Amino acid sequence: MIRPLIQGLALTLKHFLNPFKVVTMQYPDEKWTPYPRFRGLHELQRDENGKEKCVACGLCSTVCPAECIELEGDENKKGERFAKTYEINMLRCIFCGYCEEVCPEEAIFLRQDYELASENIKDHIYNKNKILVPLKKKK
Amino acid sequence: MSDINLKIDGKNVTATKGTNIFMAAKNNGIYIPGLCYHPKLTQYGGCRLCMVEVTERGRTRHRFSCAQPVSEGMSVKTKTSEVDKYTKSVVEYLLAHHPLDCPTCDKSGECGLQDITHDLKLSAGRFKTVRLDAPMKRDNPLLEYNTNRCILCGRCVKVCKEVEGVGAIDYQNRGIKTVIGTAFDKPLDCTFCGGCVSVCPTGSWQDRTLKFRARPWELKKTSTICTYCAVGCTVVVNTKKNEVMRITSDDDLGINEGNLCVKGKFGHEFINSSRRVKTPLMRKSGVLRPVTWEEALNHVSKRFTEIASEHGGKAIGGIGSEKCTNEDNYLFQKFCRTVLGTNNIDNISNIKSPSLNRLVNESVEYEIAAASVEEIEKADTLFFVGADVAEAHPVIGSMTRKAILANNAKLIVANARNIEFNNSAKKEIRMQYSIGTQTQLINTLSILILNGELVNYKKVETSTENFKEWYSSLKKSDMGIRKVSTLTNVSEEVIKSAAELLAKPGKCYIICGKDIEEDPSAENAIRALMDLCALINAGGSDKVSLVFSRANNNSQGVNDMGVVPDFLPGYLDINDPANRKKFEDSWRVTLSDDVSMEDSDNVFDLASKGKIKALYVMGENPIVSYQNGKKAKAAFKKADFVVVQDSFLTETAQLADVVFPASTYAEKEGTFTNMGMTVQGLNKVIEPVGESRPDWQIVCELAKKMGHPFYYISPKSIKDEIGKCVSIYEGIKNNNLKKDGSRWVASVYDGNLERDGFRWVSYDNLERDGFRWVSSEYDKYEPLKYIFEISKKRSPVIKKNRDYPFILLTGYSLRHQGTYSRNSSSLVSLASECFIEINANNARRTKIADGDMVKIESAQGKLKLKAKVTSRVPEGAVFVSEDYEWAPINDLRVNEYTNVRISKTR
Ligand code: SF4
Ligand code: SF4
Ligand code: SF4
Ligand code: SF4
Ligand code: SF4
Ligand code: FES
Repeated sequence: MIRPLIQGLALTLKHFLNPFKVVTMQYPDEKWTPYPRFRGLHELQRDENGKEKCVACGLCSTVCPAECIELEGDENKKGERFAKTYEINMLRCIFCGYCEEVCPEEAIFLRQDYELASENIKDHIYNKNKILVPLKKKK
Repeated sequence: MSDINLKIDGKNVTATKGTNIFMAAKNNGIYIPGLCYHPKLTQYGGCRLCMVEVTERGRTRHRFSCAQPVSEGMSVKTKTSEVDKYTKSVVEYLLAHHPLDCPTCDKSGECGLQDITHDLKLSAGRFKTVRLDAPMKRDNPLLEYNTNRCILCGRCVKVCKEVEGVGAIDYQNRGIKTVIGTAFDKPLDCTFCGGCVSVCPTGSWQDRTLKFRARPWELKKTSTICTYCAVGCTVVVNTKKNEVMRITSDDDLGINEGNLCVKGKFGHEFINSSRRVKTPLMRKSGVLRPVTWEEALNHVSKRFTEIASEHGGKAIGGIGSEKCTNEDNYLFQKFCRTVLGTNNIDNISNIKSPSLNRLVNESVEYEIAAASVEEIEKADTLFFVGADVAEAHPVIGSMTRKAILANNAKLIVANARNIEFNNSAKKEIRMQYSIGTQTQLINTLSILILNGELVNYKKVETSTENFKEWYSSLKKSDMGIRKVSTLTNVSEEVIKSAAELLAKPGKCYIICGKDIEEDPSAENAIRALMDLCALINAGGSDKVSLVFSRANNNSQGVNDMGVVPDFLPGYLDINDPANRKKFEDSWRVTLSDDVSMEDSDNVFDLASKGKIKALYVMGENPIVSYQNGKKAKAAFKKADFVVVQDSFLTETAQLADVVFPASTYAEKEGTFTNMGMTVQGLNKVIEPVGESRPDWQIVCELAKKMGHPFYYISPKSIKDEIGKCVSIYEGIKNNNLKKDGSRWVASVYDGNLERDGFRWVSYDNLERDGFRWVSSEYDKYEPLKYIFEISKKRSPVIKKNRDYPFILLTGYSLRHQGTYSRNSSSLVSLASECFIEINANNARRTKIADGDMVKIESAQGKLKLKAKVTSRVPEGAVFVSEDYEWAPINDLRVNEYTNVRISKTR
């Protein structure tokens, strides 16, 4: 009984003293690269013509278990439906990705950005300015 | 009707004869899919979704449940595998071309097609076809139409024709190209009742006031009562985050069966309008500036106290509101009478037709008044006299059409104008009488009925009083039908057949409209109508009832609540000390009996004469809505101190010294009384906008500041007090107001002591002239014997004036009504222009064409309006609606017939 215990502790000690294997990441000097399927901050998409894909169907805000999405639709100049306001309260988001899954227009994706801390509580309300992909510059 | 027993899915069900299986199942909680059948429309059987298996007399067949009436012993199965297979494939076909654009469709979430697809667990269909992609039709500010989503169920076509009587839309093309559309694809030009949006099971028709702002499942739905006309439709206000998004209706609520009109359905934008007065305003160095409630209330109470102590309470005049609740109005008059100590209070409807209250009450006393408006749906004959139902009370029009469809009702329309009223009546009589001859016409109908012995002369004589004298005086003044015919410009045959129709057995309703009530000869004409009713009722087996039109949602209630100089709440004459004592006891004050108004004076006259120094206006804009706008304006300018309580900065509010921001109907509770004297409860939809407060609360605060605190915590406590001390409103205590309202006339007619409802009595054996009270020992109200009165009052005549050759007629408009519609942007963009309607012949002679700008002048003032050349107005007259607040036609009017001249201008 005592032998396996000592064996185990020895292994732990070996790893502990190994100078080549540092587990702790020196964040923020060192940055973590998320895995491809990591679910981070949301991004609202545009289509190939630069038009916002979101049509304010409201499914994401309905499905969201944390009830953190608020949006209001409106009519654009062409008479099409678009989201006039779109806000995610990132203090509440649990990164479940349901909003991405439910979206019929493939307009919202959870991306890689995980550095979401801020000193100001208001910064955590992410509106369209912050999460909509910027228009690509015309070449 | 006899009941029929059948089995649906093994459940024993009873249904009345004639019901279809679809409704029998639905009423018993059994769901059958179906998209084209609608209980208020005729059956069509076009969607083919409601298939069921029917076993009858040993034979099992498949039937469409909406097309199959129930029969005894029938056994119905709604969920067999065959039925399921059939229904599924039908939906698959429906979806084959459907654009499936649910994410952008505002119907998504309440769409019949979506629901059924979901219920049947259908996924990607087997058919590979082209999805339809026609553009959205947006040719008007209220409705948009998308042909792609249509499943051709035909509901919209039918509601438009059957309920609204318009027929603006119909099927077009054949086969696969069939769509719903307007004739020749012209822009939609209809009454915009929104019926099509309400019944459409898919997202083809859309309410544009919602404009993608919310999803159906996010909307909080609160039913309440419409704030526009006096029909009192139940509307369902859809809100999201304290903001009104749209208005829908509920077929099962209220008196309107889910039917609305353009104002009720689309005129909601004023509630969250940016033009609302959101803080109290006070005039400081000539300009109205925002102040705190405290400051405004202090100032008003100080000034009121000063004026009352200097000139006496009666130097303050009050104007109650036809749009505010009964509770607001009750409190307002209580405040004026007890705290301010004035009886100089009034409301615009009473000022416009001063004899109406008395006549309505007499009609109730004689059991001539209709007990509610919705009972006209059961009518056999309807007589519109001076009532432009389609413009003024559109949903009464829908009720009429229902009576016509269901009971084959006959219709008589008498009006000085050739008004529009589309319907499918087999028998319709039109009498376009010359202006001012209505009394003559009505009396002639009575004479014809008597002369032609269409009623039992003996019976009339015994069951009424003063009949002989009345008849002989009528005969004496009778000029013979031929002369009447030339005078009124209605042919002899038409008058005769109208008389015959009225005297025919059956239920008959006479809708007495504004053109009668607000005419200078109102009293005589209404009395003639009452005589006519009494005559037919006494002499025959049938029943004729009178429905008195009222203008606004609570025009009836404001009078019931005693916001008139001479009646305390419940029409108790203030000159009678016993009546005063009753209220003195319950209010614990002494009331003044000093009604300073002489005969034809009103508050504005007194203010112009300087007898009234301060005016307190609650929720009205008299400068525009009072029929003599000039005088009202002068009165407000003359008064030393003016307080206006309103939701918007109206013309009247702009002249005020203090403006209190008042909440609209959506922000408060209370009750409204419609023109059928049905008291219906409001529900609070949203919190008050800005710093506004409900009117009752403002009055309470003011009373407190003036040292007479009222202890009300909510409109309910005021309602309870009304129920206690206003005898005709006793019913509102117990009646389930939320469900179907309390009908005070009806409870007068059938009230008894067992029923805890209304008792037509207050206390003691009180008898008073013209309006007799029965002692409380009587447990059944008995109508009095009708007393025919010989009218001595001469009807005013139309004065010819060379300089002003036209008579100005005014009236209602379908698309607007006062301050609220004016601040509803969609309604304004739909109807942005107030027209002057000119007869085609007159137009030709004056060289005015459609669309020209016309200057219209009277001795009082002038106005520039666009011309509409029509055949609706008679020659020699022009018509302008009073409901467009920004076209103040009342500035031109006087209390009699107004003569005007018109000229083309630029
Ligand atoms: S990831 Fe989940 S919690 Fe976060 S916004 Fe989307 S649905 Fe809501
Ligand atoms: S589900 Fe997609 S399209 Fe719909 S509102 Fe959310 S992001 Fe927009
Ligand atoms: S709004 Fe009313 S009148 Fe106009 S098309 Fe629809 S149902 Fe017909
Ligand atoms: S528009 Fe709507 S109501 Fe009219 S036929 Fe099409 S689906 Fe039916
Ligand atoms: S305005 Fe009159 S008819 Fe129209 S919805 Fe309101 S109450 Fe009904
Ligand atoms: S509901 Fe019966 S066929 Fe449409």
